[in-house]
Amino acid sequence: MKLFGVDVGGTFTDVMYSDSVAGTVIIHKVPTTGDDPSRGVMTGIIELCERNGIDPAQIDYVFHGTTIATNAILEYRGAEAGMITTKGFRDIIHIGRHQRPQHYSIMQEIPWQNRPLVKRRFRKVVTERLAPPNGDVLVALDEDEVRVAARELKASGVQSIAICFLFSYLNPDHEARARAIVLEEYPEAFVTTSSSVVSQFREFERFTTAAMNAYIGPPVRNYIRQLDNALRGAGMKAELRIMRSNGGVATPATISEFPVLTLLSGPAAGVLGGALCGQLSDRRNLITFDVGGTSADIGVTNEGRFSEASARDTTIAGYPVLVPMIDIHTIGAGGGSVAFVDAGGAFHVGPRSAGSVPGPAAYSRGGQEPTVTDANVVLGRLDKDNFLGGEMSLDGAGAQKVVGEIAETLGLDIDEAAVGIITILNSNMANAIRSRTVQKGIDPRDFSLMAFGGAGPLHGAEVADMLGIPEVIVPAYPGITSALGLLASELKYDSIRTQFQVSDALNLERLNADFLQMEEDINRQFEADSVAAADVTVMRFADARYIGQGYELRVDIAGGSIDADSMERTFEQFHRAHEAEYGHAFPQSPIEIVNVRVTGTAPSPQLEWPKTKGEGSRDKALVKTAKTKFRVDGTLQSFDTAFYRRADLPVDSSIAGPAIILQLDTTTVVPPNWSFTADPHGNLILTAGVAS
Amino acid sequence: MSKHGTQGRIDPITAKVIQGALENIAIEMGYKLMRMSHSSIIRESEDFGAALIDADCRQLAEAKQSTPLQSGPIPGYIRGMLRMLEERGETIKPGDVIMHNDPYGGATHGPDVAFIVPVFHEGMLAGYAVTTAHHLDIGAHTPGSGGIVDAIDCYAEGLRFQAIKVYEEGRRNQQVWHMLRTNIRLPDLVLGDMEAQIAASRIGAQRHLELIERYGLETVTAATEDMFDASERLLRSAIAKLPDGEYSATTYIDGFLDDPDPARRDLPIKVTIRISGDEMHVDLTGTAPQVSDRPINMPFKGTVDCAIWLSVRSVLLDSAVHGEIQQNEGLTRPIRIFAPEGTLANPIFPAPVIARFCPGIELSNAVVQALSQVVPRQVCGSCGNGGGLLLAGQQGENFWLQVELFSGSYGGRWQMDGMDSVDVLYANTRNNPIEDIESHVPLRIERYELREDVAAAGRWRGGIGSIRHLRFLSPGSASVESEGHKYAPKGLFGGADGTPSQLIRVKADGSEIQLPSKVPHHPFGEGESIIAIRACAGGYGNPHERDPQAVLADVLDEYITAEQAFSQYGVKVADGKVDLAATSAARAA
Repeated sequence: MKLFGVDVGGTFTDVMYSDSVAGTVIIHKVPTTGDDPSRGVMTGIIELCERNGIDPAQIDYVFHGTTIATNAILEYRGAEAGMITTKGFRDIIHIGRHQRPQHYSIMQEIPWQNRPLVKRRFRKVVTERLAPPNGDVLVALDEDEVRVAARELKASGVQSIAICFLFSYLNPDHEARARAIVLEEYPEAFVTTSSSVVSQFREFERFTTAAMNAYIGPPVRNYIRQLDNALRGAGMKAELRIMRSNGGVATPATISEFPVLTLLSGPAAGVLGGALCGQLSDRRNLITFDVGGTSADIGVTNEGRFSEASARDTTIAGYPVLVPMIDIHTIGAGGGSVAFVDAGGAFHVGPRSAGSVPGPAAYSRGGQEPTVTDANVVLGRLDKDNFLGGEMSLDGAGAQKVVGEIAETLGLDIDEAAVGIITILNSNMANAIRSRTVQKGIDPRDFSLMAFGGAGPLHGAEVADMLGIPEVIVPAYPGITSALGLLASELKYDSIRTQFQVSDALNLERLNADFLQMEEDINRQFEADSVAAADVTVMRFADARYIGQGYELRVDIAGGSIDADSMERTFEQFHRAHEAEYGHAFPQSPIEIVNVRVTGTAPSPQLEWPKTKGEGSRDKALVKTAKTKFRVDGTLQSFDTAFYRRADLPVDSSIAGPAIILQLDTTTVVPPNWSFTADPHGNLILTAGVAS
Repeated sequence: MSKHGTQGRIDPITAKVIQGALENIAIEMGYKLMRMSHSSIIRESEDFGAALIDADCRQLAEAKQSTPLQSGPIPGYIRGMLRMLEERGETIKPGDVIMHNDPYGGATHGPDVAFIVPVFHEGMLAGYAVTTAHHLDIGAHTPGSGGIVDAIDCYAEGLRFQAIKVYEEGRRNQQVWHMLRTNIRLPDLVLGDMEAQIAASRIGAQRHLELIERYGLETVTAATEDMFDASERLLRSAIAKLPDGEYSATTYIDGFLDDPDPARRDLPIKVTIRISGDEMHVDLTGTAPQVSDRPINMPFKGTVDCAIWLSVRSVLLDSAVHGEIQQNEGLTRPIRIFAPEGTLANPIFPAPVIARFCPGIELSNAVVQALSQVVPRQVCGSCGNGGGLLLAGQQGENFWLQVELFSGSYGGRWQMDGMDSVDVLYANTRNNPIEDIESHVPLRIERYELREDVAAAGRWRGGIGSIRHLRFLSPGSASVESEGHKYAPKGLFGGADGTPSQLIRVKADGSEIQLPSKVPHHPFGEGESIIAIRACAGGYGNPHERDPQAVLADVLDEYITAEQAFSQYGVKVADGKVDLAATSAARAA
């Protein structure tokens, strides 16, 4: 198999090629082309092929991560969209949950009011009403009204239309019929229905997700078409697969219909890439720690399984979005995080970031405020002559100046201030990890911290120390983990149905019928992708809660025909999960099955990772020895520290810290009392405790 | 910034790390309570609080998810609890869990019950982890814990708990739990929520203790003292920027508009803010006398103080401008509050208080209006008040209950229109999804939309209220606790006043009856319905200065009519466009 993984970032497009027969992996980086990212994608693929004598026509798959949809939302730059909704409910997506994003603010904005995905003038209402519990038709759909609304929306120039009816998750017929009528009147329009995007209760969140799908539909559809054409134009026969936020990939046809599935797929690919690297070294309990200039993304894989975010916690740019996503906790902490003292004299680091422009003072791009990167320069951990493999030199004096100023304000010496900035940042990141582990009954000491991104390996060991995590892993290419994750992704489809069934009065017949139906739906999608049923792994889950609760926990449901016994096991699992998650269970309380879910996955071709050849040595890798500063046993001390070039390190040979390891995409810090080993799979393994 | 005056007790880095850890604990408590609780008022409406308190009753950190009026009063709960224990000669012991809700002992009102878990370190009391939550029912004389607007004294409002140990040294006090189960409607839900509160408080206490053990009590205390001082300095520096002087505003509440007794309606709430250097004195003299036999009085500690603290900080330390600032003891220090005894703002026991929410919003409105005289670009026109509707009924053997919290709306702001149909000021709850309500109780929501053609004009217009129409699918009852049926939210700086709220009962035959803003428990028949029409908030600035394109957008979005565009804004809209010449002429006239 010959595969490409192409991840489009803000600045660079990362391209990774893998040949599973030859056992080769090649990486390449080209500038991202902002106006039409598909140009950068093609340049990257073609250049890599040309330079390495690869025939583009022989490529089997191109796995692609795109931020087209995400950027359209973040920059509020989507299509003009319309909505057809139930009469009486025109403003569901405007009122939301009647809650403000911030408690203590008069001057705040509300994203869905200040930047509506569908303006009120383009929200049309039609007569129809469904009712729970079965989605019975209370008021028939007025088809003439739908037709009139479609004509009006067409005349007003909207490009896409979301059809959002109350209770459509129980009965999609009205939405489907309305969609058919709209397409008769306006065949070129992008038309989506809320029940097809996500068949789940909570109207504000579902309607918003559908509106978002309509808002980003046209640009994403155009982009995919352009890219596919460009691939064909270059003589490639490769199948295109697009990354989703659930950690799977989907076909261009699926993504063109449901572009909302790609939101936040970049960080998801990062987690996948991190997990893959961990797997190479046989680690299955991983905390992925992806730190860039502005934010840190934290994910947990437990025994190789990702946790999925709770539907109520997933947002983008402040809008709720109800699509399956890997649970990734993002906080505003990174290399560009700004340190400042507020008017009350309190010391803060972040969440504001200096970004890349003006950036840290050390970048000499006009940054005047001290950042985490500047603090790392002051302490000698970032080497001004060996940053990004020497491609960019750092302004040491600039960093000294800004960190010196805040030190003066705080009444500290400059090194104390610098280490303080890093300590506060690390502590914020450790708290974020704690919220995803300790607070959910997971002991981080049983995990490895997989540190990547430009700044992850700089901070990984000290963050691990704060949490008692014994080991940090830095993958071979910490800057392109998302591209790598693409190559590790699977074809994956989900189906969901809201149930509201209670444990003491289960309708097993309905459950079994729904599961069969959902599995048929999923199999049909795989068939459309030419995947044989035998290659598909199907898993069932329930979102369950104690009766009366509003938040669900996910538990497994047995395959095949479900009976009272198999459900009893599910309920027992629920009690245990509740105890683990919250520290308490209510064993007497009935359990409500809110949603049932089916996930189908089909494996993608496996990536073959070449083993590192053991040609390096410590002497060959040593670049220099210089002073760096660390706090050990409560005092800040200066250490003679070896700086190594990563590519020349010996394999399987443990080296004691302190040490700094240099490579193109990142700098790894090994503090005193830590040691490290380059393993044959390309990973650096940092181990807590004094090396022998 | 000079070093002087900001030098802390410990280094600023350790201080910050400990503060971050405290905040993280409070968030964990809130997260767990919200997700574990059983009734929609806590988990959907988020009408709960969680906070860590130190041994001197000072707030260290609060859960971000909680509604401000729940976490804010927690230090007062602790003080009230301690006073009660002292009077009885009792002490707190490790393993105790204490229940408290006395509105004359620090609580904001009876339904908001606190569960307090003490933190002991080396045998000494080192602090408290506390959750509060609005319970669906605490055994008042009519069902539910909202809309109890005819309670004649504190005794009629439901069970009062004055520092009751539900666990004593780790042992469950079964007798208390039996009594709760007997006297509370919906005991499974309410007691389940109480258990969830205890579990969340215990987690908080455990984490707080781990933090103290890790850093030492002395270091943690020093870090928190520094945190209070820094917060205090932050607010003082904001107050110091304001010119010294006296700034007053008065708002009015309906009270009981259908009551023959004039002392029960049209009641002023007067706020006078005196600024002197970096101090603020808030004086409520001029506020109406208490209504001794109706529950619209506001506990001085628990409601009045919180309403003032939280409105002042929302204006002077607005988080959209200043970033997130943890609410703690330090932010209350520069503010002194006075309210004469025997007024709505400082009632005398046993005057009832259960419906204090809406008067508290008007008090907050008055604070913001008074501040508009000094910081005109940091305030908004008066907000539309909230409140709630309580619906209940019997279906077979099952008693059901649904709390519908009303939204309000925000007044127009400098360079921004007001927020539409949101909870306001010291409250920030959430509505319940329609698809959740109809799946669980016999109600049908017929309509939930914004009002049209009544938005308050202004250079930046007032926020728009909503209309929510609910129908009973089987016989039941309703009670209402709201405000603002008579008094429209005031506009600012030439902006128009808003539009009052209305409440309509639609009988099965279609006839309509206007209801006042307070309706005690009342039966409703199958097919009858209630329409809650919520206030539109006040506008900001001269409507003739509004961008004509923004006026056009409001016409296209059907918030206002083309006629209103012309009569209120002097903007001529024709064929979906602004007629610039006609607009200039109209505005020049």
